[in-house]
Amino acid sequence: MMRQKTGIPIRMILFALVIFLFPFLIPSPYIIGVMCFVAIYGALSLGKAVLMEHAGVFSLAHPAWFGIGAYVTGMATVRGIPPVLAILIAAGFVALLAYMMGAPLLRLKEYYLANATFCLLIIVEIVLGNMGSLTGGHQGLIGIPPFSVGPLTLKGDRHFYFLFWGLCLGTLWFFNNLLNSRVGRALKTFNDSEAASMSMGINIPQYKLKIFVITSVMASLAGSLLCFWLRFIQPSMFSIPLMVELITIVIVGGGEVLYGPLLGSFVVMWVRELIHAYLGKVLPVMTAEVDALFFGVVIVLILIFMPGGLAGWFEQLIRIGWRVRERFARL
Amino acid sequence: MNDSQDSNVLLNAEDVNKHFGGIQALNRVSFSLERGSITSLIGPNGAGKTTFINVVTGIHPPDSGEIRFAGEDIAGMQAHIVASKGIGRTFQLVELFGSLTVLENTMVGCHTRTRSGMLSCGFSLPKARKEEREIRDAAMESLQVVGLGSRAHDPISKLPLGERKLVGVARALSMRPKLLMLDEPVGGLAAHETKKLVDLIDTLRGRGLTLFIVEHNMPFVMSLSEKVIVLDEGTKIAEGLPEAVRTNEVVIKAYLGEEI
Repeated sequence: MMRQKTGIPIRMILFALVIFLFPFLIPSPYIIGVMCFVAIYGALSLGKAVLMEHAGVFSLAHPAWFGIGAYVTGMATVRGIPPVLAILIAAGFVALLAYMMGAPLLRLKEYYLANATFCLLIIVEIVLGNMGSLTGGHQGLIGIPPFSVGPLTLKGDRHFYFLFWGLCLGTLWFFNNLLNSRVGRALKTFNDSEAASMSMGINIPQYKLKIFVITSVMASLAGSLLCFWLRFIQPSMFSIPLMVELITIVIVGGGEVLYGPLLGSFVVMWVRELIHAYLGKVLPVMTAEVDALFFGVVIVLILIFMPGGLAGWFEQLIRIGWRVRERFARL
Repeated sequence: MNDSQDSNVLLNAEDVNKHFGGIQALNRVSFSLERGSITSLIGPNGAGKTTFINVVTGIHPPDSGEIRFAGEDIAGMQAHIVASKGIGRTFQLVELFGSLTVLENTMVGCHTRTRSGMLSCGFSLPKARKEEREIRDAAMESLQVVGLGSRAHDPISKLPLGERKLVGVARALSMRPKLLMLDEPVGGLAAHETKKLVDLIDTLRGRGLTLFIVEHNMPFVMSLSEKVIVLDEGTKIAEGLPEAVRTNEVVIKAYLGEEI
């Protein structure tokens, strides 16, 4: 009866195995490329889901940390700093910045916090766009060298596929451990009853700040890897459209269960690809607006018919399945 | 100042004042709780009973006054620090964590006694795993004390009110508090559920825990308490043995309306 929830569950090992074998079974570069995005956005939205759904911190600034991570790494490597060191510098910088921004901003709640972090997101985009001499301005940063550690250099999408999924699964493992620990339980209490939470000795502002910094640093890591893959970054890549995309992913996949954001990332990325592939032939113009319109409708439908997202819906099915089984067992 | 003379006193409140807007919720309230005793606080609705618990536990800071717990002035300290000093509490509206199971709720109670940080938990370091096992065992033990060991893995939503209140007590017990403050532990409970709580409180007294109970149920209060304090409109109007309070003219007039 005692379920040991920490450590690595078998499901996760199986999943990791499938992910590992995938590029060998389906060697299409196009599919692997999309799967890279699934991993990056999966890792990002995992952090966002933990922050939003479990700790109740409604921050919209997630893409900003992702972007700062990408930019600091890019700017450092363009100036000749080794990639691994650049990634660490970016992570440290984001940690410091997230701490400095979080300390005052996290005193706000709900919509006010959303508003303030939304402004932060826009400010970061403006700063990146207007510090031309450092960041390359709105045209973007070019000339990022390939990712190399000593004599090893990553080439091609397949290498990055493993890197991204490594990060994504690592993030999943980390948050799975965290949520099943004293810290995770403490985080989950904020939404239920703050008075009870405090009376159990939980320092709510401190925990909110810590999880905010940790998820920001994870976003920064994802950003660092992204910049080595694309070798070109632009401020608009880390702005409102990405924020909307992450929210879409969390809503579609469901934020309550940890595999939700991964599922959401997979579904959203592939549905978008399909739209582009098939709708593009029907519609005279295929623009980002069509995307936005489509996912707008999807979000509304999901919120109405499956408020727990796809993962929440699955969990419900499994629960019903168990109940049916119990009933039959009793007969 | 007088702790050295009176080390038997666990909590001592002196002239505690608290107002919300124009309402004086607590007006120069003073009393002390002795170690290992059961003290009850009664009074009509709106007398300031829950406010008193909230002020002691740091949910609301007092406007003025001194609250000494085990010799230390805790007035105005933040709630999570007060909790770590060893004051556990339950809530009138139970306030369990609905997204956690019964066992997990109780495990949250161990928070003040454990140390693993966010990173050691996230990376599942051996030290954090060991602590997690200890938390689980301690929480299971608390659940067994209140008689809910068999419901450990149920979600809170499956439990009736009586059992929820017991989970609230188990959660507070996991803190291994020196003082346990119960806010209306039997309010809204059926007779057999009340009986369970009476037995539980007897057990806890046997373990030497100091208890402070806010309650409306008179037979419950009278049968358990060693001392009864009566609040009316934020002011203490009587304090003493249950029998003395029961026959106190002022109390009867202000609160009970008739003899009970």
